[in-house]
Amino acid sequence: MGEFKVHRVRFFDFMPSGIRCMAFNSKADRLALARLDGSVEIFNFSNNYFQEKVIPGNDSRSIEAICWVGCDRLFTAGLNGEVVEYDLERLCPKYTLDAFGGPIWTAACNSEETHFAFGCEDGSVKLFEILPDKIQFERNLDRQKGHSVQRILVDRGPAGTRNKDCVVWNVAFLSDYTIVSGDSAGKVQLWDANKGTLIKTHLVSKWDVLSLSVSENEDSIVAGTSEGTVVQFQLLSPKIGDTETQWVRTRTFKHHTHDVRAVTETRTAVVSGGLDTQLVICPLMDKVEVKSSESVLRKVIFPHRSLVSCAKKPSLLLFQFPDQLELWRLGGTDTIGKPGESLPVTRKPEKLLQLKRKGDDHICCSTISECGHWIAYSTVSSIRLYQLQCDNNNISITKVSKLPKVLRSAHQLQFSADSSKLFVASEQATIHVISVSRSECKHVHTFKPKSDVFLPTGSSAPVHLLAASADGQWLTSANRHCEINVYNLKKLKHHCMVPVYNSLPSAMAIHPETNNLLVTHADQQMFEFGIVDKQYTDWSRKLQKEGLHRCRLKWGTPVTHITFNPQAPSQVILHDMHMFCIIDQSLPLDGLKAQFYSQLTPKDTSETDKPRKNNALKICNKYQPLLHVNLLEDDWLVVVERPLIDIHSQLPAPVRQKKFGT
Amino acid sequence: MATKRRGGLGARRKGNMEVKAVVDLGADSSDDDVPEEVTFEKAKADAVRSMRNALETVKRDKELLKEKRRKRQELFQQQKKRKLLSEDMLVEIESAYTKKGKPLDSEEQEKEESEEDSEEEVVNARLKESYKAVRLKDQIDANTRQESASDFIRSRLYGPGTNRTTTNQMLSLKNKTGNNKTAAVQFVNKNWGSENKGKAEKFKKRWVHSLTVVAN
Repeated sequence: MGEFKVHRVRFFDFMPSGIRCMAFNSKADRLALARLDGSVEIFNFSNNYFQEKVIPGNDSRSIEAICWVGCDRLFTAGLNGEVVEYDLERLCPKYTLDAFGGPIWTAACNSEETHFAFGCEDGSVKLFEILPDKIQFERNLDRQKGHSVQRILVDRGPAGTRNKDCVVWNVAFLSDYTIVSGDSAGKVQLWDANKGTLIKTHLVSKWDVLSLSVSENEDSIVAGTSEGTVVQFQLLSPKIGDTETQWVRTRTFKHHTHDVRAVTETRTAVVSGGLDTQLVICPLMDKVEVKSSESVLRKVIFPHRSLVSCAKKPSLLLFQFPDQLELWRLGGTDTIGKPGESLPVTRKPEKLLQLKRKGDDHICCSTISECGHWIAYSTVSSIRLYQLQCDNNNISITKVSKLPKVLRSAHQLQFSADSSKLFVASEQATIHVISVSRSECKHVHTFKPKSDVFLPTGSSAPVHLLAASADGQWLTSANRHCEINVYNLKKLKHHCMVPVYNSLPSAMAIHPETNNLLVTHADQQMFEFGIVDKQYTDWSRKLQKEGLHRCRLKWGTPVTHITFNPQAPSQVILHDMHMFCIIDQSLPLDGLKAQFYSQLTPKDTSETDKPRKNNALKICNKYQPLLHVNLLEDDWLVVVERPLIDIHSQLPAPVRQKKFGT
Repeated sequence: MATKRRGGLGARRKGNMEVKAVVDLGADSSDDDVPEEVTFEKAKADAVRSMRNALETVKRDKELLKEKRRKRQELFQQQKKRKLLSEDMLVEIESAYTKKGKPLDSEEQEKEESEEDSEEEVVNARLKESYKAVRLKDQIDANTRQESASDFIRSRLYGPGTNRTTTNQMLSLKNKTGNNKTAAVQFVNKNWGSENKGKAEKFKKRWVHSLTVVAN
């Protein structure tokens, strides 16, 4: 098993955006991250650092500071002078408020969470009062009128750099009246707030110190620099047994290649992000108690969902960018080669269509139908549906203008297997079923999530996964509260709910023949649920008892797509960022303890290697980093890779480091 | 005072010249002579004359300045008048406007009012939900402020004086200092020589075709 011809696709120019600021909410164990394109992402740290929610960006929004209030309210402020509160259930901005002070450079919330302070361009600090459903302007602290206690001058830096003014990028005020400042000369300085004097200077780098963060119990400070290093300072006593403590520079991490513009500290790790677009979670080994998933260095590079849709019959790929969609037809080859050989491309892949979005909001989801005739995408403010006609060399696209009024925005879109219906997952976890045809689009039905004894109103968490069965009878949806609902399309009502497993589902698919729902979760567990029987299948129970091989569980990145092989109904193909694997449900599982053999080529096998062949799990990590893996007809596999060096080559300029001997 | 002195000097010089002439004539006589006698009245007359001259020059200067200022003021007023519409035109316009308004009957007035009202309503309805009246000036101000703020950040991070290098350099450095030392990275421009590549492709096709024809 596992012999395919592979379309190796590397023309998806996926370019993530740099990280600008972040805030950690220790009560909810979630990290909110803001990127340079205005998008906000929320990572759930207790759920294997899964990217739980993504609020798409906006061309006019710029974010300079992000702040949590309580467990579930998120605010950002930016250079356009506006304060935005986000609705984390509908994944869009709730309202924007102009602070009327020019560009806002920084924001802070007090520890009782009653007031917000914004530092504006005109030199004033504006105080806002936090009310249950909005914030209200309270007063203005002007530059001259406010009671200035001390005026501290930061000196320019070591000789040689005195030509430029020193810009203080960050300031932190500790409860023992110590001020910590990070500036553009690369110094982290500690000041006494009562006397206005300098206590200690630490020269951390030759370039700017761009970000500073203080831990919750104020015993550790982390600073991020322009050259990509993250430096930690800890409050320690220099001599053992001495009660006097000092801030001592302890650790230096270099996990980034470009400027680190955001750092924060959790209880057990240092989280940093910068212009190289990667989020790095580095565990602090003296705080980690148990050897678990917490003690591993993690880098989040790709989003935890699929940005590629595939129309299998016409071999079309739809790529989703924040500002446009691109439709490509796969190329082809006429030669038949030997296993392991790379075949010459006779028909080049062609870009058929580039569809730019209208308006400022970025695209949040998109899909293409199986037959390749319908394309749909959605932003936070609108949904658009297009009909595509593609006869050999002529392509025409027409927009479907009259969409049912009930469609406003979507969190997820999916066409049915016969391309006659479009499923739109909207706010409040409702799913609208729209029938699409050449003549008109009609709203057929709206599914609402099942209300429970425990949740009388039904969960309103946003839906992030949709799966439709091949025979058009079943539809499943997964939402951010880890609930999976199954709907009957023929009878148009709710069928059942899969037992809730505490980890977020990362990918889901319905088997075309057996109608079993296969779900993978953020903690790498996999379940198979029989829809018709309304219970877990025997294979799933066996899997839970014996477990797949242990190296499967070590994967840091979640599975983003599951697909099936029409030629071999017992095979399941899933992939994450670093590998794709085939699980054969008819072969026996090896269990956690067994030795893992990976087959390189089918010709390798000999008669004595029978036990090897019978392994259910086969992994291939030849193609990475992966964005999408899908199976086309005739044993063709399409693999969409995005080499990290291509992303690297388009990043902004890094600092010049002079190394000896080069 | 300076003028006075000058005047005085000049007058005295003249007088001195005369005196000098007299003295020169008498210069042949010895140096031990007593200095010549200038009568008190003469001196008084000289002083008075010089003062009068000085006062006169001051008056003249003041008057000249006044003239200049007046002329400038007039010039400005003329320019201002030219900018504004002429009074006649304004009068004409006003009369035309009032003429329009005057001969309206009460009925017609009501109709006009109702039309205006309905227009307003229509305008209000139009402006209600999907449109918002925004002052363009505010928008432009906000945009310029935002741009200047982001320019500040860009210039501090990437402007002159910051030691920045290219991504090519950084990757090459990694290659050279890594465990397996390899050559520097060179980025290839895919669009380079696209014409030549196209020609080469066409030639290849033709050549392969000619070979197959020959073979057949």
